[in-house]
Amino acid sequence: MSDIVGWLDEYAWGALVILRVFAVAALLTLIFGVIGAAAKMAGGLSARIASAYVTMFRGTPELLILLLFYFGSAVTLTAIARLTDPAAGFVDIPPFWAGALALGLIAGAYATESFRGAFLGVDSGQIDAARALGLKPRAILIFVRLPQAWRIALPSFGNHLISLMKDTALVSVIGLNEIMFTAKMATSVTQKPFTMFATVAVIYLIFTTGLTTALRALERRANRHLVR
Amino acid sequence: MSFDVALIWETLPRLLDGVGLTLLLLFSSLAGGALLAGPTVWLLLQPRRPLRLAAQTYVWMFRGTPALVQLFVIYYGLAQFGWLRDSPAWVLLREPFWCCVLAFSLNSGAYTAEILRGAIAGVGDGQREAARALGLRPRQIFRRVVWPQALRLALPPYSNEVVGMLKTTALASTVTLAEVTGIAETIAAQTFAPYEVFLSAAVIYLLLAFGAERSLKLLESKRWSL
Repeated sequence: MSDIVGWLDEYAWGALVILRVFAVAALLTLIFGVIGAAAKMAGGLSARIASAYVTMFRGTPELLILLLFYFGSAVTLTAIARLTDPAAGFVDIPPFWAGALALGLIAGAYATESFRGAFLGVDSGQIDAARALGLKPRAILIFVRLPQAWRIALPSFGNHLISLMKDTALVSVIGLNEIMFTAKMATSVTQKPFTMFATVAVIYLIFTTGLTTALRALERRANRHLVR
Repeated sequence: MSFDVALIWETLPRLLDGVGLTLLLLFSSLAGGALLAGPTVWLLLQPRRPLRLAAQTYVWMFRGTPALVQLFVIYYGLAQFGWLRDSPAWVLLREPFWCCVLAFSLNSGAYTAEILRGAIAGVGDGQREAARALGLRPRQIFRRVVWPQALRLALPPYSNEVVGMLKTTALASTVTLAEVTGIAETIAAQTFAPYEVFLSAAVIYLLLAFGAERSLKLLESKRWSL
């Protein structure tokens, strides 16, 4: 136990990096999920593209997608840099952004399905009633369909966010200095690998448990009209 | 930079060499997970709180942390304990393959137990009442009425678990194993062609995931004579 005390500040910094990756990726998840769901419901070519996106990102390992994004972008950017300056060295997207983008796209593929299901799950009687009250289509979307779809999507979207939180551990593989990196560094000094990696596990456990609690509170709030 | 189709044809056979190890990891971990899930779900259903709490803690810990961290705790971490290094188990635990199987089994066991618990809870109370009215004993009710129906309910979420585990096996590449992702990393480093190589690997995983989903669907649609 005493071994980790000196490393706590390092872990705190690493944990902060994890939270930043998570925050960016979660925002991207929301964006990609909404775009994906809209494309799927629009039908035609855009629906086919969205389906291919969902299949591709749900059926391949997260690690592979991360490697593809990071090394792929590096090869592309280096090639572009060499067009202007043949002597240019290795250029890459910072691992933070490559990682957040890849994780956002992965979770976005899952969110696409939850959002689409939730939007279609809104009771059609609600929409009829809104129309009968003379609301315009835009108003129906904003005041009737989206708030109710949100409530329906929340449980599954929340689960995808928890998966996303755990997937942030993968960015260590493409070289981001986060808590896994801290653990490796601390291990090389203290020769206590179990203590150091178990600390990472504890930090994740705190994050996922906190997130679960927050999501449950959010669900309770979204369903507050159902409780008497 | 260009997309080299010929390279894909060169890469694919080499990647396919890794499919064997990927599948071996997948099936070993699923089998290990199923072995752990049985007793875990039994404990989860116990009326006595300490027993239930032990199983709940296990499920919470392994569902709440990344599989990669679990793997590193086992692969790098266990060497910290001298008594373990001196024990006969070390013959297995110093091998990255067995570390992967152990970590993934513990992970899968937690998820599978939760799936089974949900499925058992999903069997209607009417079924239990009817069985009791027919005079079946509690053990018989569980074995002949609840369990068979729970297994059917568990199949669709279990299919997600199988695909999830397939994707988790890619983490084995981080501890030097040459399964599909590990081989892909090696080839990508040699050829500087990440798009061709990683996309080929992605296609292999997609096909495997598709195959897994299909076979479990088949199992679902089958009528079980009990």
